[in-house]
Amino acid sequence: MTGLGYTVPAVLAVIAVCVMEFAVLRTGLFRRAAYWFSMAIVVAFQIPVDGWLTKLSAPIVIYDDRHTIGVRFPFDIPVEDFLFWWAMVTAVLLLWERRRLRDRGKKLS
Amino acid sequence: MDHWQYLLVLAACLAITAPLEFFGAGVYRQAWRTAAAVLPVAAAFVAWDAIAVAAHIWTYNPRYVTGWELPGRLPIEELLFFVVIPLCGLLTYNAVNAILARLRRVRTRAEAPRS
Repeated sequence: MTGLGYTVPAVLAVIAVCVMEFAVLRTGLFRRAAYWFSMAIVVAFQIPVDGWLTKLSAPIVIYDDRHTIGVRFPFDIPVEDFLFWWAMVTAVLLLWERRRLRDRGKKLS
Repeated sequence: MDHWQYLLVLAACLAITAPLEFFGAGVYRQAWRTAAAVLPVAAAFVAWDAIAVAAHIWTYNPRYVTGWELPGRLPIEELLFFVVIPLCGLLTYNAVNAILARLRRVRTRAEAPRS
């Protein structure tokens, strides 16, 4: 349970996405209510889907416990998965939002 | 049948979120814009995934995947995962935006002074 193989890259992915927003893209996505509502819905659906993928009784994805911190909740989901999904979905929404703002700027000018 | 399990989970995700396309400007109707948002992130995550599989950090249960693999021993299902889940996220965000905008319009109309 060193957490090196999965926990550390998962935390780094979250930091990378935050840097992408605050230092590069500056879309203001994190200030939008629509974003937080959407992420709440995404997490609500992640639990059954990811729960199914990671369930220890018949796992589709098998994790080496030496690379996680060893906390699996809810069901048997390694908590690192929540960082992984958050980083993945948020990065896509950031690129989507940047494009939308850029197009709107074009229309206004 | 077991070998289709991972693919079926992904198909269910697409089926459940499909009706969200009817809100706002949609996601599938803006295929280029969607690809431009999804593909660069998918590329980064596929790379991460391939490294993790090579380093034995996680693996895929051969029982529940089709056995079709990409270079780097990645099941085809994983590539689809990085497209399907972000699509579900985009569809959700698109729908929530459309609903909030509609609510805002209703509220502004209700608050506007009647003349």
